[in-house]
Amino acid sequence: MTKTDGTLAATPARQRSHWNATDLGLIAVFAALVAGSALIAAIPVGGMGVPITVQTLAVILTGLALGPGRAFAAVGLYVLLGLAGLPIFSGGRSGLGVLAGPSAGYIIGFVGAAAAVGWLTVVVLRRTAGRPGKLRAVLLFAAAMLSSIIFVHGLGILGMMVNAKLDFSKAFLADLVFYPGDVIKNALAVTVALALHKAFPDLLIRRVRTGAAVAPAAATHTADAKVDHRP
Amino acid sequence: MSGHGFLLANYVPGTSPLHRAPLWLKFLLVLGCGMASFLIVDWAAAAAALAVMCALFLISGAGLRRLVRAVRPVLPVLAMIGLFQWWQLGGPTAARIVLNVLVCIVAASILTATTPVQRLLDGVASLARPFRRFGADPERFALTIAIMLRSIPFIAGAYSDVRDSARARGLERNPRALILPVFITTVAFARQTGDALAARGLGEAETDTQSGPGAKTQPEAEKPTQPAGPGGHALP
Repeated sequence: MTKTDGTLAATPARQRSHWNATDLGLIAVFAALVAGSALIAAIPVGGMGVPITVQTLAVILTGLALGPGRAFAAVGLYVLLGLAGLPIFSGGRSGLGVLAGPSAGYIIGFVGAAAAVGWLTVVVLRRTAGRPGKLRAVLLFAAAMLSSIIFVHGLGILGMMVNAKLDFSKAFLADLVFYPGDVIKNALAVTVALALHKAFPDLLIRRVRTGAAVAPAAATHTADAKVDHRP
Repeated sequence: MSGHGFLLANYVPGTSPLHRAPLWLKFLLVLGCGMASFLIVDWAAAAAALAVMCALFLISGAGLRRLVRAVRPVLPVLAMIGLFQWWQLGGPTAARIVLNVLVCIVAASILTATTPVQRLLDGVASLARPFRRFGADPERFALTIAIMLRSIPFIAGAYSDVRDSARARGLERNPRALILPVFITTVAFARQTGDALAARGLGEAETDTQSGPGAKTQPEAEKPTQPAGPGGHALP
């Protein structure tokens, strides 16, 4: 049943035809960015040089930078092409066989997480419109954590339960290893996103302020409805 | 890193029956294996299915080494799961779980080993076709795929450039210095790509670039066959 998720992921993206050429470029290049982040070597962090992979960071950042609709399309495109056979998943894996492996849930979860964090980002940017300061950073970090816990970790645990037949507590423990890295990556993603929005105000902030982003937000509202009911 | 060499990683040219089988048939095979992995309850049946899949893989002429290479990335995790489930649920169940996952992985690598990447991407692009009545646009979908493929080498290059310059400043342990410039470059690159598309009248929703009704009969899926396509010319 998860097999169809990949195909469904990208098709609604094509229904919003009000995207212009720049949006198309952003979607394509951010999809490439997630792919490139999965392929490059891990980056050493801090004095100890603990290596972190940049892929989940790129997924969350896509949401923080682009907002729900375009982030959903970008990450959906990445997952779809990976499932179609391009070796762009981490470690150079590819193909539908990934869906049978224990990490299937994480890869599917990326799509939901990017859309959810994008939707929450629009909400946060709108609420903190007048005062972009520490509060905005903290709220964005909370949004990133919430989305990655619900979608990446939630579906990741589900994937391990379905494919590796682990029971919930075992899968939960196996998933716990990823939390410290995720906190670091989400904090990093928020600082990078704030810098991005400062450098390119028309990326998302101006769209939010002028209400241009209202339409995409409303269009994905059905997809995002899960987000505000579940927590 | 330049070019699209990485796209050819899995395909093995050949003329076996599997190479000539239509894409949808191979896709059904993968789908069937995915479904079967939920239905098979006997480890012997799973082992038989795995043997059949391996035989099919070898018939395609891809060779044993490719088969090992397709399975190797998941082996450590599968070994861990197998040992853990052996301890928890006993030998036969553990064997069934591991074998079922292997069946799916081998089946999927049959698909990617016997189908050229361009053919696969054409298949993906044609997925948008049934949704045309809901406003989907296969042309723009294929164009987006082409731009994405074209951008992956650029992104990889941006990562290595930024890493070099961070090292030159003694900042190779500073994650912000390693990541932020990549994203700034990426957004700038995306916007240049968008401008280049707009300048050519490509990718706009309202302007239908196909004026004649005869143009509609062209296969839309032709687009991804030129990954360095329309956006490629005006880019740095």
